[in-house]
Amino acid sequence: MEMDRPDGRSPNQLRPLACSRSVLHRAHGSATWAQGETKVLAAVYGPKAGTKKNENPEKASIEIIWKPNTGHIGQADREYEMILKKTFESICIRTIYPNTTTSIVVQVVHDDGALLPCAINAACAALVDAGIPLRHLAVAICCSVTDNNCIILDPSKQEEEKAKAFAYLVFPNTTVSVVPEKSLQAGSDPMAHGIITSVTHGAMSVDDYLHCLERGRATTQRLSEFLRKNMEPKSTREASKAG
Amino acid sequence: MREIQLQLSQTQKVRLQKALEHLESLSSKVNSDASVTIADSIPVNHEDGVLKGHGTADLEGEVVATLCGVVERVNKLVYVRTLRSRYKPEVGDIVIGRVIEVAQKRWRLDINYSQNAYLMLSAMNMPDGVQRRRTALDELNMRCIFEEADVICAEVRGFQQDGLHLQARSQKYGKLSTGQLITVTPYLVKRQKQHFHHLEQYGIDLIIGCNGFIWVGEHVEVRDDMVEDQVSQSDPQVLIPNKNSVSLEEQEKNYTALETRKHICRAANAVRVLSTLGFIITLEIIKGVIDLSLSMNLDIHDMLGSEFCVLVAEKEAERRSSNKKKR
Repeated sequence: MEMDRPDGRSPNQLRPLACSRSVLHRAHGSATWAQGETKVLAAVYGPKAGTKKNENPEKASIEIIWKPNTGHIGQADREYEMILKKTFESICIRTIYPNTTTSIVVQVVHDDGALLPCAINAACAALVDAGIPLRHLAVAICCSVTDNNCIILDPSKQEEEKAKAFAYLVFPNTTVSVVPEKSLQAGSDPMAHGIITSVTHGAMSVDDYLHCLERGRATTQRLSEFLRKNMEPKSTREASKAG
Repeated sequence: MREIQLQLSQTQKVRLQKALEHLESLSSKVNSDASVTIADSIPVNHEDGVLKGHGTADLEGEVVATLCGVVERVNKLVYVRTLRSRYKPEVGDIVIGRVIEVAQKRWRLDINYSQNAYLMLSAMNMPDGVQRRRTALDELNMRCIFEEADVICAEVRGFQQDGLHLQARSQKYGKLSTGQLITVTPYLVKRQKQHFHHLEQYGIDLIIGCNGFIWVGEHVEVRDDMVEDQVSQSDPQVLIPNKNSVSLEEQEKNYTALETRKHICRAANAVRVLSTLGFIITLEIIKGVIDLSLSMNLDIHDMLGSEFCVLVAEKEAERRSSNKKKR
């Protein structure tokens, strides 16, 4: 079913992505991530000594601080904090630095739809920049179901408001072998297994939800490639400059 | 890469770009095959039996990277080294720290690491140089030795049960005064044979701490307490920290000459320029920058301007290419 989106994208098309790392000098790791007009800045500080009272001291704990672009911190922000905390607790290897706290501060610069996935991608890039060991990278995407049961990816704020329901999905990044031949052999299943987080708003049928999952998983391939390409060239440049 | 925060004009940008490209072409190429991203599996010869080091994890028999960086192999050990990591203390590192707290029988210092380091009272030389057991009186007088916000130079002793411990048992360690502390990112300081430098022609001391704290200060003669006569035998009593009551004679004695202070500022600015450009900080390169600024008769505050930064980058590219040709 063809769908006319206000900005002329096809249902499967993502908005232009932009990512830059190490934007803040005093943070241990930082990154900005922009999807179209939505822009989020994430900073990572840590690991710092000590955990909070109700946290397990045998593992590293992760603390998220969500800062909205306008207004006081409200209930919605606390909910985002909790979602991010659970997501990153499953990605980070928590047994490496026991009894420490890693803080991730997420600052919303501009909100134009798909805010939570953008924040998750930014925070993941910031964690990599800080050198915190991770099990795999997280790639997040937003799928929404419109009134005429059409599934579109990466909605803008207008589209999100008009949609019947939408879902934020976070998938683990694909594992890629350093030796290129292996990846060609594994052509049967280049896609990642499993899902890390799924947050849904509104009412959608089971079929629609499964379709969303499929579409989202297929798109994460593109997002993962973008993320990986972003990580690599900077490292070789760094080493040569430092001599 | 941290973008260089300078207001550069168009020609300056072009010159800086050229100098940096020249440096890149001179350096030995990092083996791009060895760079990995998170969740990449590392090619390993499984029959040999491999030791999985930092930055690796075991996933269904495959060795998988958990950090983005370069794969290093040492005999059977495989680990991933990040290119721009935080400071990681090793035993024997010279570090500079700031006192945060005076606790029971120890001082807590901030050394730009994820934990605070402890300097035990027993790991310090007593002011009168006598080797003895630390009594309760010594504990009460701890504040006279170091207070909060003092800058201390010490050596890493190791990781004990309650954290990272330092020791300052030699005369060259201890409290640092009359100088500047400059913070740079830790990866710009590589471990070398000598971290204490004395620039004779300027009369200043330069201590390059492995944790990215660099101290530039007035030269202090390292006295050996054992040899010197015990002239001032202080009575063992509870001393009050006499910060406010410094007599005029002491103030005059502590006065640093204007020339020395200028040299300290010049050296500190040289370190700041190098840290903005992202070059590794060693004694030779700091001397080179100071000489360059003096030969151009540059004012001290002009050293932080964009023109000087571009000149330093160009000069460094020249120096490295001439070094390479010599070999």
